[in-house]
Amino acid sequence: MYNSDVRERLIAKDKSLKQISDEIIAPIHAKMPIWWAIALLVSLGMLSFGLYCKYVTISTGIGTWGVNNTSAWGWAIINFVWWIGIGHAGTAFSIFLLVLRQKWRTSINRAAEAMTVFAVGCAGLFPLLHMGRPWMFFFVFPYPNTRGPLWVNFNSPLFWDFVAISAYLLISASFWYFGMVPDFATIRDNTKSKIKKAVYGFFAFGWTGSSKEWLRFEALSFVLGGIAAVLVVSVHSIVATDFAAGVEPGWHTTIFPPFFVVGAIFSGFAMVLTLVTLMRKLYKMEDFITDSHVDAICRILIFVSLIMGTSYLTEAFVAWYSGNEYEMFTHFKNQATGDYAMQYWGMILFNAVVPQLFWFKAVRKRLWVVFAISIIINIGMWLERFNIIVGTLTKDYLPANWATYHPTIIEIGFFIGTLGIFSTGILLFLRYVPMMAVSEIKGVSKYDKSVKEQEELNL
Amino acid sequence: MVGVFDNEFDLVEAFEKVKAKGVRIDEVYTPYPVHHILEGMGKKTRITHAAFFYGLFGALAVLGFLYFASVISWPLHFGGKPFNAFPSFIVITIVATILIVTITTLLTFSIRAKIFPGKQIKIVDPRATDDKFVLVVNSSDGAFDHSEVESLLKEHGASEVYVESV
Repeated sequence: MYNSDVRERLIAKDKSLKQISDEIIAPIHAKMPIWWAIALLVSLGMLSFGLYCKYVTISTGIGTWGVNNTSAWGWAIINFVWWIGIGHAGTAFSIFLLVLRQKWRTSINRAAEAMTVFAVGCAGLFPLLHMGRPWMFFFVFPYPNTRGPLWVNFNSPLFWDFVAISAYLLISASFWYFGMVPDFATIRDNTKSKIKKAVYGFFAFGWTGSSKEWLRFEALSFVLGGIAAVLVVSVHSIVATDFAAGVEPGWHTTIFPPFFVVGAIFSGFAMVLTLVTLMRKLYKMEDFITDSHVDAICRILIFVSLIMGTSYLTEAFVAWYSGNEYEMFTHFKNQATGDYAMQYWGMILFNAVVPQLFWFKAVRKRLWVVFAISIIINIGMWLERFNIIVGTLTKDYLPANWATYHPTIIEIGFFIGTLGIFSTGILLFLRYVPMMAVSEIKGVSKYDKSVKEQEELNL
Repeated sequence: MVGVFDNEFDLVEAFEKVKAKGVRIDEVYTPYPVHHILEGMGKKTRITHAAFFYGLFGALAVLGFLYFASVISWPLHFGGKPFNAFPSFIVITIVATILIVTITTLLTFSIRAKIFPGKQIKIVDPRATDDKFVLVVNSSDGAFDHSEVESLLKEHGASEVYVESV
């Protein structure tokens, strides 16, 4: 099946197993790069500004935000959905491609999973602070209480969302961690530093690589991978029902769950692309993240972008075909030609048009263009969430209730803060953890042998 | 006796030969899973079966709890819908079941494979997590022919053979 000369190499050059572990682990033993220290300082600065904004939000209240009675959801929910969408790629990447037996995933899945964990963590902060009294957040748990016990509303999509997001965070974090255990053991056994040996030895949980361990490890990844594949579809479908179950023009449509899932995979893959192009450039990982890896992600993005374009068209068509004047107003007056025209057409351009450039091989081959488009897609996906939330809420059924929405500096700072959390997390990940699944790459490296060699070895 | 190999193909070949000789193989340490060895060692894992039952009982427990909370403990009307709103319970049931299966399967793995924080281990050959494939055969048996097994391992591509008490 893999004996095809057409398929590109998974890893460039004929690397020995020793080279594979040494080259991937090298950044952990290397001296701290200057760019890394600067990037970490900037990230920490952003993070602290975010902390200040959170402090203001908690100590003063939601009144410090630009949200109002009409547009009760603003940047907080936009950013929440945006981060959750990005957080989707880890599962989509490692689990869908695991189930589909795509061997090229091995160089990228670790970074994608790290991205998921940090992105979902950032996302969770927004609803938490949007509660207004975050110290009462435990009211959301269905715990036996002295109020009856009065349970939470199990029929509410908002509660489903709480269950889905917290489960997703726990599951993706444990999946990520257990995938790293064999690699921590590799670092433990390869370092001369006593401190590193102790620290990575602790995190390796006593892994030795015996056949008993691998046997159960394989069974574990099979179970976790298989069952978490459901999450790729369920988490963002549930986020979509937060909107679709609300009787608002532009929200109350059955297209929302699949539309959200596809959008999430789109933005998540774009963020993976941002990350791997940076990793490849900054850490000189050209041999592991080859042109064909970047190419494969670009091709997936073309396809998903076409689905996004179709979804936008379908939304507009159904708004017209339904004959519902409120739907038509939201889509054609408020969004396409009205106050939010710029955001609407920006969304179409960034998500449905620009990614089509990936049809050209010349574009896919130029790393900086690929990087730029991946950023554009993420901006486009942010605009989409802006349209959905602000485009609908500011002008609903009763014109007397119409209002405008502008974010305050506190809301913007909160968002910048989560960007800081995310980039700090990614920087620490790149520096202290093997950024690629070393043992998995070693496992697939044999498939890079020539057809003749593979036949001889009976692969 | 410990045999060190440079690649999985030599290891598999030697593994088969040693097994055919009737020598007991204690353990094989590899940098990545080699399926031939995992099958050849004759161990089976029932983690997948356990996961299925965790899921089954987890789903029943979640559904049972939702029914208890919404129908028995504190029935509330939501827009005239039935107390037992079964279809809308499914969402939570699926997600919570996945969470239950993940956590319980991880714990099972941790207990069965003895992978837990703070574990004290004796590493036979530290290169086994890097680039070497290590075959440990039991030489404590009285009938064990030292030189024969050593030459057998060497013949099938072992780069090193040494004796160590494990």
